[in-house]
Amino acid sequence: MRPSGLSDSMYRIGADFMDWFPLYNSLRVAAIATFITFFVGIFAAEYVARTPRLVKGLLDCILTLPLVLPPTVVGFFLLKTIGPFGPVGSRVLAWFGFQMTMTWYSAIFATTIVSFPLMYRTVRGAFESFDKTLLYSGQTLGLSDSFLFWRVKMPNCKQGILAGTVLAFARALGEYGATTMVTGYIPGRTATISTTVYQLWREGNDLLAYKWVGINLIISAIVLIAVNMLENKYRQPVSSARDDLEAED
Amino acid sequence: MKKFKGLFTALLCAAIIAVPAVSYAGEITVFAAASMTESLNKIAGMYKKAAPNTKIVYNFDSSGTLKTQIQQGAPCDIFISAGQKQMNQLDIKADPKVNTEKLDFVMPGTRFNIVSNRVVLIVPKGHNTTGIKDFKDAATDKVKLIALGNSDVPVGQYSTDIFKSLGIWDKLNADKKITFGSNVKEVLAQVEAGAVSCGVVYSTDAATAKKGTVEIVAEAPAGSHKPIVYPAAVMKNAKNAAEAKAFCEFLKNDACKKVFESIGFSIPKK
Repeated sequence: MRPSGLSDSMYRIGADFMDWFPLYNSLRVAAIATFITFFVGIFAAEYVARTPRLVKGLLDCILTLPLVLPPTVVGFFLLKTIGPFGPVGSRVLAWFGFQMTMTWYSAIFATTIVSFPLMYRTVRGAFESFDKTLLYSGQTLGLSDSFLFWRVKMPNCKQGILAGTVLAFARALGEYGATTMVTGYIPGRTATISTTVYQLWREGNDLLAYKWVGINLIISAIVLIAVNMLENKYRQPVSSARDDLEAED
Repeated sequence: MKKFKGLFTALLCAAIIAVPAVSYAGEITVFAAASMTESLNKIAGMYKKAAPNTKIVYNFDSSGTLKTQIQQGAPCDIFISAGQKQMNQLDIKADPKVNTEKLDFVMPGTRFNIVSNRVVLIVPKGHNTTGIKDFKDAATDKVKLIALGNSDVPVGQYSTDIFKSLGIWDKLNADKKITFGSNVKEVLAQVEAGAVSCGVVYSTDAATAKKGTVEIVAEAPAGSHKPIVYPAAVMKNAKNAAEAKAFCEFLKNDACKKVFESIGFSIPKK
């Protein structure tokens, strides 16, 4: 089957690699998962920092759990919940008529859950080391809480947030265990780079497996180089109002 | 005290060397196809009474995975495959077109056909809302998703043969309806969980699935695939060849045959 309009040489290059779907699928799943994790992680970090000690410890434990659990355990719990016979999955199927597993977007549930702790903990670390006197100064100037959060706290924690986002994206891109359990392996529909490489290894197709490994390495290199460039651009001395006060002495 | 240091060290070394030797004797490692899990576990229990000093260690997985593991040097005394292909790929006496890597792992004179099996189409019990009745229904709208074994899994190869003989294999792939599982138990698990409309497994898997989770709706049409015969053989680099051969003889006796038949296998004539 040859798409019309493609010149011979273009088709030959493309034919080698007929199926680019895993790349497209991996990237879109990782991008959407990172987008969700970005906002949920930041808000969780901010909210948990404000809770009393005991609650903070408990929430910390629960929210970091997916990092410690083997991905297949996460996948197992997910299946039991959003699978067609699970409490959530069966209701969604009955009310809205679609299945939550064995689709490409099922991977988003899995990757969001496993990449969330990375974003959450990194941002929490950045927020904890953020100098609160800057906030207090802002409050004395009559600035609103949301202004202080978005325009004072966030920009000052840029590095931590950026680091967290990159970790989350990398984790989401490389997710295998939970993804394969929840989405299965449907070529052209739910295949990701990681499940495709596993499949190719099983079929003994080492050549194609190496090609996908190469693509993954290239993507990783691009992401890391971009992050390095961004980090250098945002590099700022860790400012502290207290330092300025001491300097005046 | 200094005088005894040398003696003590020597004794310690002897003890360390002796321990592994003790733990290997009387233990045989059996690599077997996932579909043999229930029957072989039962038989291990029976063998404990016949040969109490022998411990049987199982590794159940798809035959393709097991063949790769053996090829890469995993310690294995007996290999039982769910298809001739995987055993042929390890047998130097097999057709060189199948054994392309010229592997030589099978101990000559020990290969025999242990059981044979049937391929069936199953649906989640009580959830066959579209009324799937036949393998041909896979190409229609009755089936949204079908779980099949991978191409390196024997049941996957049989599935391909069946759908090719019905002329709908290409359509199934084009419609992206197939989710490929790594072994037959994974396919079964997906049908049990209702994640797919139907799946293709062995009759033995359907028979031994958790009660009331799956039901068989069709058997593979006659002649649509090669007869499913499971070969077994002792491996050349077996650590316990004598005990392995003894276990193979045990597997051929009547008590074992009854166990196999009770879960849906049949015994090949040869």
